[in-house]
Amino acid sequence: MLLSIQNLTVRYGADTVLSIQSPIEIAEGDRVGVIGSNGAGKTTLIKSILGLVPYQGIIKTGLKPEQMAVHMQFNEYTDSMPVKYIMEAILGRKISRDKKLQELIFFFEFEDCLRKKYTKLSGGQKQRFTIILVMMQNAELTFYDEVTSGLDFETRQKLVEKLVEWYQGKDASFLMVSHYYEELDQLADKLLILDKGHVIDYGRREELFRRYCGRAVIIVGNTEKNMTILSEYEKLASPAHLIAMSCESEEKENRIVRLLLENDINYKRSNNDIEMLYINAKARADMTGATVHSAGKEKYAK
Amino acid sequence: MQNKSKNKRLISGQMLLFEFRNTIGNPYVHIFGVGMPVLMMIIITRAVAGEMPEGPMLSATMTSIFLGIGALIPMATIFMGYGVAHAQELEKGIPQRLELFGIQISVTLCNRILSEIIFMSIAFVIYFVAGYGFAEVESPSVSGALLYMVCILVLSIILFCLSHAIASLLKKFGATYCVTMILYFAQMILGGMMGISYDNMPSPMQVAAKLLPVTYINRDFYTVWKGEHYNFVPMVQSYLLMGAVTGILLFVTVRKERRELH
Repeated sequence: MLLSIQNLTVRYGADTVLSIQSPIEIAEGDRVGVIGSNGAGKTTLIKSILGLVPYQGIIKTGLKPEQMAVHMQFNEYTDSMPVKYIMEAILGRKISRDKKLQELIFFFEFEDCLRKKYTKLSGGQKQRFTIILVMMQNAELTFYDEVTSGLDFETRQKLVEKLVEWYQGKDASFLMVSHYYEELDQLADKLLILDKGHVIDYGRREELFRRYCGRAVIIVGNTEKNMTILSEYEKLASPAHLIAMSCESEEKENRIVRLLLENDINYKRSNNDIEMLYINAKARADMTGATVHSAGKEKYAK
Repeated sequence: MQNKSKNKRLISGQMLLFEFRNTIGNPYVHIFGVGMPVLMMIIITRAVAGEMPEGPMLSATMTSIFLGIGALIPMATIFMGYGVAHAQELEKGIPQRLELFGIQISVTLCNRILSEIIFMSIAFVIYFVAGYGFAEVESPSVSGALLYMVCILVLSIILFCLSHAIASLLKKFGATYCVTMILYFAQMILGGMMGISYDNMPSPMQVAAKLLPVTYINRDFYTVWKGEHYNFVPMVQSYLLMGAVTGILLFVTVRKERRELH
């Protein structure tokens, strides 16, 4: 076990911004995606683990601070010199003499940026700069806080592709905060769902998906025609423009699919859609007024 | 973890070079730390030369002015320059970012103070070249030169710690700029560098002036420079007082900035 959190409370003045009651454990090799809307406590969680905000409770880890690396939401560096020198100072080595560093620079296509000052880099280049430094730390546990926020779609996709490629076959653990579910789809195997400073749930993606969405979901566009055709099926919570149905059994799934094909309706089938998982976990927590994680998972075991 | 062990060295070539680039990238230090003392020294010594007859009295006065204005260099390059730059970095979260990369604050501080002292030494070389070129500066005794170096060096270290504490406590560029600027001019005025000499000050001002090391550097250092007998006790006391105030502020800063780690 790399890290465990229990009875954690973080307060900013009179406001409790994060409260984690049931234990959260991160084991070696875990790749945890942290999701939740703004103000859910995602960044505060990272900051409390790193000791950057005062907290009450227990955060247990055998890791030393230098064994944890972090890509913060906002990373700033001095602008009085080209980033090459900043990189060399932070890593304590010359780029020309370090093969691994050269490979990383090449991997993230950063060679042409080395002579530039930090403020002259584009958003994507800035993110890649910090990622190179973070990866060179070769830390046991890495935190990525909204690593692609503020980037355009293409740059975001490219960066995530690079991260996926980099972590392929590696045993490193990380905790990644993101608002983009497709990123976590490619990178995370566990999810921590936060809402208004509380944990809705934490666990393996497949388990959580089954808990909130069933074996699989079928998603179609939200039109009057589709609503009429599918009226007999119970709906899951979904974004306003979609209709989602849970398929608890293969038989039910076949029935729905047949119906959709007969009516020539386009559909999407998924057994791991993070967005659907999040929406339904949040809807259930809102409905019950209690967080699943703190209220006991057995409540929703069915 | 290879890079971590390298960063654990208190002083390293790469970090020193990094901090030096950081120091020279700050425009304040060039304007206030190099340009202003040289300009002030030239203008004031020229003004004095116009009003005094040639002779040993003139060169003694010029040397005294030259030594006093020299104290502006650590005050501008280190006290104001570093304080303002550090506040700017704090606003952007740069020191914390470096710490999260495993670079301890002690490493950053040691390399920074060394780089500031290197820059200050270069500023002094320029100042001395200008001084010997434009003013009649008398040659020092060996002990006088050494003591001047020691006094400036100790003052620089105290000023570095003081500006670090001020910036760390205020955390904002504007507030730090304001406070360091006020203290900078207060030291210049009370030190007798702005037209009113110590002897012409009203007595409450003299009390405050006596507490500052710059007063002694500006008023008395000609005696030390020439190797003549000098009572160092008041000067040492002023250094101790400034050091103690700085120490308390630094202690508060360190306690406030400490990370709560598991």
